[in-house]
Order: sequence, then structure tokens, then C-alpha cells
Amino acid sequence: MAFQPGEGNAMEVDTIVAVATPPGRGALALLRLSGPGAFEVLARVAPELARPPSPRRAVLTSLVDPDDGALLDRGLVTCFPAPASYTGEDVAEVSVHGGPLLVAMVESALVSAGARSAEPGEFTRRAVLHGKLDLVRAEAVADLIDADSPALHRAALHQMEGGLSHRLAGLREEVLELEALVMHHVDFPDEDDPPVSVDRVVEGAREVESRLGRLLETAPEGELLREGAVAVLAGRPNAGKSSLYNALIGEERAIVTPVPGTTRDALEARVSLGGYPFRLVDTAGLREGAGDIERLGIEVARRYLAGADLVLLCLPVDEEWGPGEEAFLEERGDTGSIGAPVLLVRTCADRNPGPRDGADRSAPRREEPGSDRSDGGPRVGGALRVSVKTGEGLARLRETAAALVYQGLVTSRTDAPLLTRRRQREGVARAHAEVRAFSRALEMAIPAEAAVSHLKEAEGALEELLGVITTDDVLDRVFRRFCIGK
Amino acid sequence: MGQREDGMETGGNRYDVIVIGGGHAGSEAGSAAARMGARTLLITPDLDRIGQMSCNPAIGGVAKGVVAREVDALGGVMGRATDASRIHFRMLNQSRGPAVWGPRAQCDRGLYARAVRRILDGVDGLDLLQGLVVALELDGERVGGVRTREGEVFRARAVVVTAGTFLRGRIHRGGDDPVAAGREGEPPAVELAQALEARGLEMGRFKTGTPPRIDGRTVDYSRVELQESHPEDFRFSAYGRETLPEQRVCWITWTGEELREIVERNLERSAVYGGALAGKGPRYCPSIEDKIVRFPNNPRHQIFLEPEGLHSQELYVNGLSTSLPPEVQRAFLRSVPGLERSRITRLGYAIEYDYFPPHQLRHSLELRVIPGLFFAGQINGTTGYEEAAGQGIVAGINAACAAQGREPVTFERDEAYLGVLIDDLVTRGVDEPYRLFTSRAEFRLLLRQDNAVERLGPRARSLGLLAEWQEEALEERRERRERILGWLADTVVRPEEVNARLGELESTPLSQPVRVLELLRRPELSPEKLLRDLEVGGGVVPFDVTGDVAGAVGVEVRYAGYVQRERERAERLREKAAFRLGEELPYMDFETISYEARSKLEKVLPENLAQAGRIPGVSPADLQNLVLEVRRWKRSGSPQQKKARDAEASSSALPVPRLP
Repeated sequence: MAFQPGEGNAMEVDTIVAVATPPGRGALALLRLSGPGAFEVLARVAPELARPPSPRRAVLTSLVDPDDGALLDRGLVTCFPAPASYTGEDVAEVSVHGGPLLVAMVESALVSAGARSAEPGEFTRRAVLHGKLDLVRAEAVADLIDADSPALHRAALHQMEGGLSHRLAGLREEVLELEALVMHHVDFPDEDDPPVSVDRVVEGAREVESRLGRLLETAPEGELLREGAVAVLAGRPNAGKSSLYNALIGEERAIVTPVPGTTRDALEARVSLGGYPFRLVDTAGLREGAGDIERLGIEVARRYLAGADLVLLCLPVDEEWGPGEEAFLEERGDTGSIGAPVLLVRTCADRNPGPRDGADRSAPRREEPGSDRSDGGPRVGGALRVSVKTGEGLARLRETAAALVYQGLVTSRTDAPLLTRRRQREGVARAHAEVRAFSRALEMAIPAEAAVSHLKEAEGALEELLGVITTDDVLDRVFRRFCIGK
Repeated sequence: MGQREDGMETGGNRYDVIVIGGGHAGSEAGSAAARMGARTLLITPDLDRIGQMSCNPAIGGVAKGVVAREVDALGGVMGRATDASRIHFRMLNQSRGPAVWGPRAQCDRGLYARAVRRILDGVDGLDLLQGLVVALELDGERVGGVRTREGEVFRARAVVVTAGTFLRGRIHRGGDDPVAAGREGEPPAVELAQALEARGLEMGRFKTGTPPRIDGRTVDYSRVELQESHPEDFRFSAYGRETLPEQRVCWITWTGEELREIVERNLERSAVYGGALAGKGPRYCPSIEDKIVRFPNNPRHQIFLEPEGLHSQELYVNGLSTSLPPEVQRAFLRSVPGLERSRITRLGYAIEYDYFPPHQLRHSLELRVIPGLFFAGQINGTTGYEEAAGQGIVAGINAACAAQGREPVTFERDEAYLGVLIDDLVTRGVDEPYRLFTSRAEFRLLLRQDNAVERLGPRARSLGLLAEWQEEALEERRERRERILGWLADTVVRPEEVNARLGELESTPLSQPVRVLELLRRPELSPEKLLRDLEVGGGVVPFDVTGDVAGAVGVEVRYAGYVQRERERAERLREKAAFRLGEELPYMDFETISYEARSKLEKVLPENLAQAGRIPGVSPADLQNLVLEVRRWKRSGSPQQKKARDAEASSSALPVPRLP
């Protein structure tokens, strides 16, 4: 990416304002100002405030319209002089009562007083520009705000605290060390130290390569955590899929954001199951005109299942295993279109009270999908009985779903840093490929001083990730998805 | 016409360029300025010491050898003088790739100095004068000339100072009182240092050292290792064919435990460690005291015994630079295998001297505060003959440009080690004597010793730095290069012609005919290994496969992918360099930039964004904000106007419009 100093929607150093709390009625709302004129702007709206305001102390004061001096509200004002603030600029926070009209009036008063409405992510962007955050941590801030499952929250917090940044910075150091080793070898042919052997360099490169590789392996999981695992409800018509869908999202309504399906015949909702994020997909539309029961499983597979992380195959307890289910199971595995584990769910358990542990002894005698996993997924005969009426088995279903997708992955074991975004994965993948190319080049007898150009590229990739080298373009990419006020 | 106060006409004392000093920097500066057509005067305290090698009698090495060849490519003195005086040659780094080979020559000191004098005497428009400059003459802000100790004034529009270690130089040898000296046996330049200091320039103190020299007849050669000269008919100069003198051998020996004990026991008697000497010394060319202190676990250190010349029995004991007292020098020498009965002919010493932190310079090596005044060499905080010569030639070129009203000439980092050297000095500054390394260059594959003349020759020609015979040599080389490339691209080699050779070189045999160029892409094959005496298409290869040109072509063919990558990286850097930063920028007003970065920027005054990014303490975030600040500043005109407008905007209580 070329550096383009001549263009780009570069940030201007004016003072920005935004409401930091969500829109709508609330007890309180918080507005934030940042920029070199933050305290001057504030003084016009809060004329009683001492000048200069005492740093980092909340002060109760009157807030007025600077145009006519009319009182708007009494609010708490806290000032954070640069550079000890979130953005690294002068920052003021104003807490007011949370009525939508009142908040709008205060915001407009601040704009009248000289501030400009912030763009999404502009506060964090300024923090990055002032060196308060690196890009990876800034992304973690966004993840933290978006976190709708404890697992993503944990990963984002760790990343914001610098876990991933430290790891990336450490890897960059190691690549630099390698380069230094090569250059030492070139620069000091006659010095006292014995020359650095190529073996030592190759060994070092392998070490860095494998570290980068291990970090790269966390990307599917990190992205899964951020995006949510796709769990598809499948099964014959009237198998209880939609009831189960509603039950699963309904019980979690407090933290569920229903998203309209991206395809007309699927409903999708974000839901946290067992503490982990899922995108639950109901294939309800297939009921219409899908009379041909033989093709049921295959139809579903074609459309959704290829990208699923988990399939919940529903069958009421009082119905027989049929050719539809059979055909469906044949799509599993390496040869079929379904790569994800399939969990057999016996719905409507209230129609036929069964064993208390929820296991269904009447399930077909066949190996359960996913039994080749060594991660504790259900085995033969391990289908789950659930009832949306009595609530039987729902808790167990959630735990099992979480375990099937997330168990055995890194986060469930350790606090290791995760790559949670495509940008991060691509950057680390580039560094990984370059370090590998470096070792390969040495093995092919290409001189180290030429091959070292791969290390330079690897450094560049890591530096771009961290924002050590940054262009307007990268910044824009990172901040595009921020909410206003951050 | 200038007139002296006493009314004497000074027309004969009028030059375009005056160069103070006749060392490696001075002789290049004088020769370059004169070749550019400037009437040039070179003043030095002792004309018999022009081109003196005051430290070790060697030119070149890794990175340094490339600079020597770049100076030559610009029509300089160093390459030819080295060819005319070298009595021992090694191509360093031959176990590495050809891109980082470093030619290094041991020279006969006397022959070297004589060659320099001969070359300078052959330059039209260059006058030499023995004299000690004590003051600068000024024309207002500009430099106007120099005054010698005898009170004579010489006027010029540009002056180059290449004072080496002479500015308030003091020689230390153990606990004795230091001796004021510019070099062994020569007085220092005190008045000039004072005169420069009086102009308000920032100064610092550095030190460097030399080892003792010994009588070669007192060495037991059965106890030292022989090092033969490499047999290559290598020439530093791409243009001329100086006659090589006969070649000599060198010897290698090692320090041991006893030497370590002697040095440790006497550390407090060393001028450096005893505290008598405050200046900072080079980390990369350390004294034996430094080596013992800093590498306590290293059981031995390598020592080269280098002949001082063809007609001298003296040996230079490379690796034992020291400021210990005479009796300690004698004692530790005698602990070294082969030197048990050695007799010292000249004692080692440390010298400290004034230098001027080079952030005060522009990339043309002109001082910012005194237009027309140029500095080159150790005065800028560097160490090494090649570093000095490289700066000398750039300063000489630019002094001529300044005198003739031409635009300054500078070199980019992807163009020459000269560019790396000067850019490092000006934008990063020095905190110890600066030496070049390949690791200082980002574009090592582009900056090779074998292509120095391809890189810089055309520029030298257009600047007028080359004599007619050098231009002819340049043209001949270009044609040779095209012939070789054409032959490699057009000639098809059959398996039966080449498979035996490939077998010898452990390279996969061919199964069908290919073009030679394709075959040469294999990293294990160089033109020399593959093509020497090889019959292809019924004839032998029609060019010298061992030559520079074939070597350069080979590197470019074999590492084409890597060379291309470097070119792309260099291009990205140039995009940044295209964002100019004027010297008038009010950096301290740019409040979105960290205070540290602002003060560094104000101190260095980078010419463009790429340079700004290389200043230590300027972060990428600062750089981003700098772009914004500069754009805004340009839109809003002077800072005064901007402030006035800001005040107006804030008093009107209207929303500040967002600038487009």
C-alpha cells in the first residue's frame, strides 16, 4: 500500500463531540468532547465552570445554550487534559439527564459553541493517532463494545489489555533479531566472533515461523468468537425447529439481536449459548413446497450446511427415523457437503416422557455425527431430548452446542491471544508466509542478504498490523465499523 | 574586486571554492570542485602530507569498499590511488552472496599519498597551497573566504572544511599529559576551531585511536599465520587501469590470556579508562582496552600484521589500538605469539578532537546557518577514510554548485551508500563516531560494489565530473553490459554442452536446451562458475566472465525477484520523499505532534517526509499528524494569519466549519 500524503480523508484537528451512551430514554446520558478546543467549547456551555477546570474531578454545573444563555440542565462535568486522556487530546465528559430531546439540545449547544459532531470511531482513531492505543487494541475496544457473549468479552478484554499487541510486537522483535543476525554475519567477516552459521539463522527462522503459525491457527476460533458460530436447525417439516429457534433466542432475549435473514428462506439471530456466541439459523422456509421428504436433508445441506459450524437435526420423539434423515446423514464427512458436527435433537419430549437424563435410548443405532471428534461431543445414542413446553433438555442443548463448537479450542483452555479479525489474520498470514519464504530461500542457497528481503516484508506486515506503519487507508479500514462516540 | 583594509589588491587570491585540508575528504572535495569547473584552492598545513593515511594503511572492506568505488564512479581520487598503491588485496565476504562482497586493499602509505598528489596535480583549475587557516571571512551571513595564520585572505563563494582530527586535537598516551596535536607529529588547528565555535555552531568531542607499529625484522614469522593476497586482478577504479605494485602477504596472530591480564592490571593508566579522555569513541573499531572490558569472555582477539609499504619493514598491528602508556604497550605486545621480541617503532595513541553534530547540515553538507560553508569528514563525527572521501566528494560537488549558482546535488538512499551515509548523519545524527555498515542500507542488493559505476557514472558525466577518457570508459562499459545481456538472453545451451559442468557444480543437469539466461537464474551458478572456458554453440563465451560487468549482470539475473522487490520498496520511499517539508515550517506550533518530535523536527529540519520519518523520536503517529498540520498550514498561510483566524472563529461562537 503506497503512502499517499496528498490525499485521504485525514482527520482535522478540530474539537469533536458525540453522545457516548445509546440513543433513547435513560436515567443518564454521557456526551464527550475531544480536541484542542474542548475546554473552550465547554466553557461556553458551562459558564460557571472554573478555568482551567480541575483535571479528572466531576463538577456539578449549569449547562446553558451559548446563543441565548437559556438553562438546559444541570450536569456533571469531568475534564481530562491532554495527554492523560482517552484520545490523548483535551477531553471533557458531560453527564446529563437522559431524555432524548434534552441530550439533543445539549449536543447542539456544544456544536454551537464550536465543536463538530464526531464521525463513527473518531475518538478511538484520535487515540491511535496520538499513540495512546495501537490498532490491535483499538479493534479490541470495538470488540469489547460489541461483545454479546462472555467468551468474546474475555477475548476482547485480553486483547485490549495488550495480549495480542505484545505477542505481535514480540514477533516483530524476533524477526528484527533474525535480520540483525544475518546482517552481523555480513558486516563482520573478520571480527573475533565466529561467523553466524546459516544453521543458526535457519533455526531462528523456523522458530519464528512456528510461532506465527500457532498464532495463525487461532484465527478461525477468534473469528468464530467475533462472528458467532453458525448453528443451523434442520429437519423435516413440523419437526419443531421454529419452536426450538424461538425458545433458544427467547430465553436469551436480553442479549439477543435478531437479524433478518440474508437469504429469504432463513431466519438468523445472534444468541449466546453456554457463554459462547452463535448465529442460529432456522430453515423454516423449506417447509413450503418441500414435500419431497427424500430430498429434505440434501436441500438444506446445499443451501446452508456447507458453511455451518454446527447442525441441529431435529426429529420429534414420537416420529420414526426416516429416509430424509438418512439422506441427510450421508452428506456428512469428507465426501458430503456437511463438514460441521451434527447433533440429533429429539423435539417435543413432552409428548413422550423419557429418561430423566435427557438421553434418547430410541435413537437409531448408528454412529452419531461428530463422534470422530475427540472433544467430548455426543456419542452413539447421544441424541438430546428437548421440550420447549416444559423446558426439558434446553439447558443441556445449549451446553452441548457450545461444547461441540468451542471445546478444545484455545480460549477454553488458556488466555492465549487470539486473532479475531480478518485484517489480523491476513497480516499474520503474510508475515508467516514471508518468514517461511526466507527459510526456503536459504535452503535453496540464495544468499541471506538477498533472502533477508522476506524478513523486511514480514516486519512490514506486523508493523502495519500494530499501526507502527500506518496509512490513511489502513486507519479507515479499522475505524469504519466503530460506533459514534468511541 | 575585493580590497584589503591596507588597500592591497587581492584579485589573485580570489577563487570559487576553497577547501581546507588535504586528507581523504579534502582531496576529493578539491578535485571534485575543480572538475566541476570551479576555480579551487586547497589549503593544508603540510603539502607533503596530502593523502596521508593517518590510521591503518587499508582502503575498503564491507560497505566501505562500496563507498570507495562510488567515489571512483564520480571520478574521484580514492579508487585510482588505491589501485596504484595496493600491495595486498582481499575480497571480503566471498562466502556470502556477491551483493555484499567487500573489496579491501592494504596500501603502501607512501605510494598512496604520492598517487593522490599526482592525481590532484593533474586536475585543471585546482591550486594547492601550504598554510594554516585560522579564520573564516564572512560576507554578511554567507561565507566569503578564509584567513591564514600569516594574515593572507583568500576569497571564495564556497568553503569546504575537512579538518579531520585537527580541531583542538589532543593525543593521549597513558597518564602523561596529553599533547596538543592534529595527528602524530603535527600541530592541531586551534584558532579555526575557535572561529567556528564563535559562529554559534554546536560542537562535540570524539576520540579515536591507533595501534603501535613495530619493526618487522623483530617478528618471529614461524609463530604467526600467513595470509596471502587474493590473486584477482581487481581494480577499485572502474575507469582507469593503474599499474598494480607487487603484492605482499599479511600475517595473523591472536591475543591471549596474558595480554588480557596485562591490560586489566593497567586499565586505570589508560587515557580512556583512567578518565583523562572524555570524548566518545567508536564502538565498532574499539581499542584493545575496550575489547577486554566489553568482551571479558572472549579468550582471544584477532590481530593483523599489515605491511606499511613495499620499502618499509614497519608493520601496522591492526587490532591493538590503545592509549596505554609506552611500557604497557611493549609488555602486552610481547605476550602475543610471534611478537615476543618485537620492537615498537611508533607508539599507539588515542586522539580526541572537536566535531560538529551533523544535524546542522543540509544534505548537500552545507551548514544551514552559514550559507556557502561545507563540512566533510571526521569534522561531521564519522570515522574511516572511505566515509571521509564520500563526504568530501559530495561537499566538493555542492561547493562548486553553490559558487556557480547551480542546484544542490544530493543522493538518495536507494542510489548510493553515499546517500545512506549523509542521510544518516543529517537526519539521525551521531552519538559515537559513525562508521558505515551494510546493515545501515535498506537497499543492499541495489547498492553493490560491482555496479557503482552503472549507478553513478551517468550522473557524474552529466555533472561534468568526468574527464574525456573516463567518459569513454563509461560508454565502453555500458556497451559491454548490453553485449553480455544480449548474449545471455539469445544464446541457447544444449544439455551435452553443459551437463558435465553442472555436475561439477552439483546443479541439476539439463534435459533439453535452454537459454543461458534461464540457467543463470539458478542461485548456485554464477557467470564465472558456469561459463568459464565453456564451449557453447561451437565457440567459447565471448566476454570476460570474471569481470565486474559480468558479475553485476549475474547478480541481477540471479536475484531478479529480490532486486525487483527492493526497487518497489525504494519507490514507496520516494513517494514519501516527494512530500516536501520547507525549512520555514513552524514545527513548535504543531501541537498535535508530540513535544519530543516537534523539537527533533525543528532541530533537524528534514527536507521531506521520508527524512522526517527516519528521525529518532518521530513516531508514525507524529508523521501522520505532520502531514495534516503541513496541509493545513499551507492552506491557511502564515501562522500569524492562522492564529488571527482561530481567534476570530472562537469569539464568534459559531460552529467552526470543518475544513474540506
